[in-house]
Amino acid sequence: MATNGTVKVELRVRRYNPERDEKPYWGSFEMEAEPEDRVLDLLHHVQWYLDGTLAMRRSCAHGVCGSDAMRINGQNMLACKALVKNLVRGGKGRIQVEPIYGMRVIKDLIVDMEPFMEHYRSVMPYFVNDEPAPENGRERLQSPEDRERFDEATKCILCAACTTSCPSYWANGTYVGPAAIVQAHRFIFDSRDKAGKDRLAILSQENGVWRCRTIFNCTTACPREIPVTQLIAEVKGAM
Amino acid sequence: MRAAIAAHQAGADVVVVGKRFKKDAHTVLAAGGINAVLGSRDPEDSWQQHFADTMKEGYYLADPRAVEILVREAPQAVVELADWGCDFARLPDGQLDQRYFGAHKYRRTCYAGDYTGRAIIETLADKVEELKIPVIDYQYVTRLLVTDNTCFGAMSFNIHSGERTVFLADAVILAAGGHTRLWRRSSSRRDENTGDGMYLALQAGAEIADMELVQFHPTGMVAPETWAGTLVTEAVRGEGGRLFNAKGERFMEHYDAERMELSTRDRVALANYTEIIEGRGGPNGGVFLDISHQPKEFIVEKLPRMYRQFLESQMVDISKEAMEVAPTAHYSMGGVVIEPETHATRVTGLYAAGEVTSGVHGANRLGGNSLAEILVFGRIAAESAVEHSRDLRVQLRAPEVIHAAHADLDALIRPGEELARPLQRAVRNTMWQNCGVVRNEEGLRRALGRLSELREAAKLVDVRPSSEGWQDLAIALDLRASLTAAEATVLGALERRETRGAHNRSDYAERDQELQSTFVIAQDGDELTVSRRPLEAVPDELIAWLNDEEYQVAGRLLE
Repeated sequence: MATNGTVKVELRVRRYNPERDEKPYWGSFEMEAEPEDRVLDLLHHVQWYLDGTLAMRRSCAHGVCGSDAMRINGQNMLACKALVKNLVRGGKGRIQVEPIYGMRVIKDLIVDMEPFMEHYRSVMPYFVNDEPAPENGRERLQSPEDRERFDEATKCILCAACTTSCPSYWANGTYVGPAAIVQAHRFIFDSRDKAGKDRLAILSQENGVWRCRTIFNCTTACPREIPVTQLIAEVKGAM
Repeated sequence: MRAAIAAHQAGADVVVVGKRFKKDAHTVLAAGGINAVLGSRDPEDSWQQHFADTMKEGYYLADPRAVEILVREAPQAVVELADWGCDFARLPDGQLDQRYFGAHKYRRTCYAGDYTGRAIIETLADKVEELKIPVIDYQYVTRLLVTDNTCFGAMSFNIHSGERTVFLADAVILAAGGHTRLWRRSSSRRDENTGDGMYLALQAGAEIADMELVQFHPTGMVAPETWAGTLVTEAVRGEGGRLFNAKGERFMEHYDAERMELSTRDRVALANYTEIIEGRGGPNGGVFLDISHQPKEFIVEKLPRMYRQFLESQMVDISKEAMEVAPTAHYSMGGVVIEPETHATRVTGLYAAGEVTSGVHGANRLGGNSLAEILVFGRIAAESAVEHSRDLRVQLRAPEVIHAAHADLDALIRPGEELARPLQRAVRNTMWQNCGVVRNEEGLRRALGRLSELREAAKLVDVRPSSEGWQDLAIALDLRASLTAAEATVLGALERRETRGAHNRSDYAERDQELQSTFVIAQDGDELTVSRRPLEAVPDELIAWLNDEEYQVAGRLLE
């Protein structure tokens, strides 16, 4: 297997245990890593061999579940998708890991996701069509083009990387944030859905889409490569 | 979640309890599709044909009653899901698109890109959100509460805080996945599919069956360690990928000269396994899957996920180099014994649905049936459970059972001399070496011996949860469940003295008509007992549909 040899990494992790620490501090761990190791592997290494008290969320480890969004070298990404070789040039370097910003830290890398989920729930993130289904017992029809219309938005895994990289959200936590708007987009632009107007009404309020200042951090942060800023602009355009 | 929706719609108070985030059930990783006879592509398709394809692919070990319900109700389940907003692919005329998948006679698999499972989970989770059904995440269920052969709830603890909850209920529906993580190489992710669902059912007094029938996917990654077992899609072979051993031989010639790499899943798995076991494997214990004879643009267009997967994980460019792959445990055909019409177990008030159950897949699962199964049987289990609850006059409680469930956990939490993770790994190595793709009496006996040593060691496991987390306890419980599920699997494999579907016995290489039956396992005190039970007969009007016609799987490999 092709490898470029191991890399010497200093992993700096923002630590905080509210039961013990007055304020957060940096923990530092030295280790050897493979270039194709992911930051999640390094954090596992810390947890399993160096310091079992390190707290973080992870589940699928394949970029599907969205539980390990973190701020890594100053940018939001999923720890399971962040490769050492893209973070460290040459044989030696530092990787800095922090919890995502704008959220209350519960412990170390774990933040309270509840405000984020609250915003998600506020945009009616479910399919609405109360008209009777076709009488022949078959599906409601939808053309491939109409199906394609909301394709990008279906990729969202609610990891919060976008919302917690958004300066507008940092400044004002009542802003619903990019993730919630992407979720709304998925249904607003589904030709079969009937509640688009209601969602647009919700999003046109003062904490809705207009707080987006097209900073593009969300688009850069999205591990699913959703053009988030574009989708937000589409929702604005539909108002 | 499908069960929760059905129970809610039938007027019951329902709560969903799971050990992960609600959108993170293992279903999210399913790629290929979901089967339903809609005839949008092939109008000549019929539920009878779907029945026949399922029975044949299952080598006649599936329960015909369960299969009939599945194939008759799948279309409605899929249309309903589309009606709840699921983003299945469409045909130009607006109908749901359908494609071929594995050994199907007609095109009947609906799909959403290569993420059908995720599309389904999200639709269900959205529906659950809309109906405001409470979902309690991060709960590890440790025991089903049973008295007088009646289930009245479950004990769980929060895997982050350790806080325990006693759920009291008229009925419990178990939808807890399979036991494929018992093998060293598994397409299941870490700490999932440890057989804990089957263990809970056995403890509660239900029966499990056909645990030896485990589908091995022919091509999983072998390196790096964190990726081992992750699927390499069958579409690589579908698009022309060739298999070679370390000597450079295109070995499928010796196993299925006609169809070569496009042979059926069980046969390719067997071929790969044999090459590896007989010493013709590569440096990481795999064989080589090579698609580099195709142009790079073709590979990037047709197999974008695989191209990225190997580049990211191994820095291997699959348009230039071969992939090293090995079979990987993929799906549990066996599991909890249920009545097909109600999905009730033999314990009153306990129901089960999905991969945790047995019956509908026989000795080999037809691709695309498992996603249909969770919808159809999730709903059926819930409707039966609600009916049961509605007819109840008294709600049973048994404080001593709840106390015992507490005591069970208390007893596990103590310092010890063994660590759970290495023991779990030993279980997986044991199963891989002795109860893998090919089995024999000697190896299976060795596995039983090793499992009983490990069971002794597991009694000394160190569990010291703290404010830092309760993973320790979850892993110790996984280990306990895995040991039982592994033993049940080996016992079934010993009894099934034949080769059929996914079960290969090198010492009994032929299919034995006499053994067209299921092997049922129950718990009797500390012992597991095995008994043989005949299968229901195929209804007369469906027998004519069963013939031994084989279909080309070329162009039908998706997952």
